[in-house]
Amino acid sequence: MISDNASFYKKDILPVTTFAVVLLTMPFWFRYIGGYSGLDTKIVIWIIFAIGFDILLGYMGFLSFGHAAFFGTSAYFTGLMLLHYSNNILPAITVGVISAIIMAFIIGFLTLKRTGIYFSILTLAFGEMLHSMVLSTLQDWTGGDNGLTGLPTPMLFDIKMQGDNVFYLTVIVAIVMYYIARRIIGSPFGLMLKAIKSNQVRLEYTGVHVARYKLMGFVISAVYAGVAGALMIVYEPYVASEFMGWHLSGQVVIMTVLGGVGTLFGPMLGAAFMLYFENVVSVYLGAQWLLVLGAIFMATVIFLPGGFVEAGSRIKKALTGGGK
Amino acid sequence: MAILEIRDVSKNFGGLAALGDVNLTIEEGTIHSLIGPNGAGKSTLLNVLVGLLEPDVGTVLFKGEPVLGKAPHEINQMGLARVFQTPAIFDDMSVLENVAIAAYAARDGGYAFNVFETPASAKPCIDLAKETLNDVGLFEQRKVIASHLSRGDKRRLEMALCLARKPDMLLLDEPTAGMARADTENTIKLLQRISDKGGITMVIVEHDMNVVFSLSNYISVLAQGRIIAEGVPDEIKGHPKVIEAYLGGETEE
Repeated sequence: MISDNASFYKKDILPVTTFAVVLLTMPFWFRYIGGYSGLDTKIVIWIIFAIGFDILLGYMGFLSFGHAAFFGTSAYFTGLMLLHYSNNILPAITVGVISAIIMAFIIGFLTLKRTGIYFSILTLAFGEMLHSMVLSTLQDWTGGDNGLTGLPTPMLFDIKMQGDNVFYLTVIVAIVMYYIARRIIGSPFGLMLKAIKSNQVRLEYTGVHVARYKLMGFVISAVYAGVAGALMIVYEPYVASEFMGWHLSGQVVIMTVLGGVGTLFGPMLGAAFMLYFENVVSVYLGAQWLLVLGAIFMATVIFLPGGFVEAGSRIKKALTGGGK
Repeated sequence: MAILEIRDVSKNFGGLAALGDVNLTIEEGTIHSLIGPNGAGKSTLLNVLVGLLEPDVGTVLFKGEPVLGKAPHEINQMGLARVFQTPAIFDDMSVLENVAIAAYAARDGGYAFNVFETPASAKPCIDLAKETLNDVGLFEQRKVIASHLSRGDKRRLEMALCLARKPDMLLLDEPTAGMARADTENTIKLLQRISDKGGITMVIVEHDMNVVFSLSNYISVLAQGRIIAEGVPDEIKGHPKVIEAYLGGETEE
């Protein structure tokens, strides 16, 4: 919200610093709650993906069911670059993210003319088209079902990108991208995105070129997906065909909704929760873990439409507001 | 001087002639009302003006430039703003944010990738938004979420949204529809003040004759898609064709 003195900077310092501290200290505390090295990196990668997804769903109000298209495109191009060009991650990530951007311009241009469920279905269709291309038409390039294997160990010039190095790289990228997301949301550009969600017609009649804002919002969201996809390959030099699949698209939707749509913080929490649940809690639950996760998701949607963030604010209200 | 010229505009829906050969000239700085029974084609005409509908034939010139075929946001950027029948505002945003959107749109000409805007560069827009809110009497409520406003205040907010763009012409579709008497009186005063202050040309579609006769400099009467009478309020009041159109019942739907 615009405050009277319109200070965009100050309100970003505390959340971004907190975010940075929590992530950077993760290797020291994460194992005490059952986490292990490697899972932390994966969580940070998914956090980046979820931030971008929230810009599209939470702020602009467009539910994409095909975001794996951008994650996957970037992952494949990053993998192909590492395999055929150089094991240096900088050109690989750059090409990966650019490929996601190009893909976003194409898909966005074709799908954003529709809203609501039609948009969702169109994105799902495009995502699945790419997925099937990866599996069949392009299998000489992509390795089909087996995925892209035999990638060299990624390097950042002379630094081997393994273990802690990957973790700190992803954390730094995540901090920068979180800060950028906050700036986008707080800017006039972000205000236009929120206005698209609120009332597209009014915005058009206020002299705003709505179609362009929608396309740029979509592309920004895809950049986050692309960065996450590229980092996933740096983390684990193997491109799985599932990176293109609807399952991955669905996962980011669930994370975002679970955490709290339109809060940036919520989807990050949702991403962390999902991966933690899938990899740590599931061990105690055995085969039933998916069932429990499904129940948690349903309970959240029914009782807490605002996700974890709403739960947090309700608890806070109960504690401070007392009888109110 | 004419600011808006409508030439030979016709529009058919199926076999129904919604507009037939409409010719209309709006003079700069005036308040021009369009009246007529239900189904006379008033709203169709407004929709043609803002780019929502493409007429079958005819031309519309705004400040000498053709309007037809342009997108709604382009027409708005030309200086033609529309106030809707049911207030169209950004419901879940604050009053100030609502108007700030319009101020940014005016400054950026429809699109700008300004994700790293600084507070200093945003200030003129925020100031303009506050000033506009002050003009329409909503400054005190600037932090309220728009959906919490009363209907009269929502209308005011929508006008502020349009005015922050500093338009040359305002199109108002039944600005007092569904309003209580006090709100109607306030709206009349507000429109009068806007017209006096900024010299903004207004085209008003209205059913409430009290509003029409207390505001208008000029009135055009539409019936069955045609303009049947034009003139200053006193000429229209006793015009036999107008009385026939309203009381004859033939055109009622």
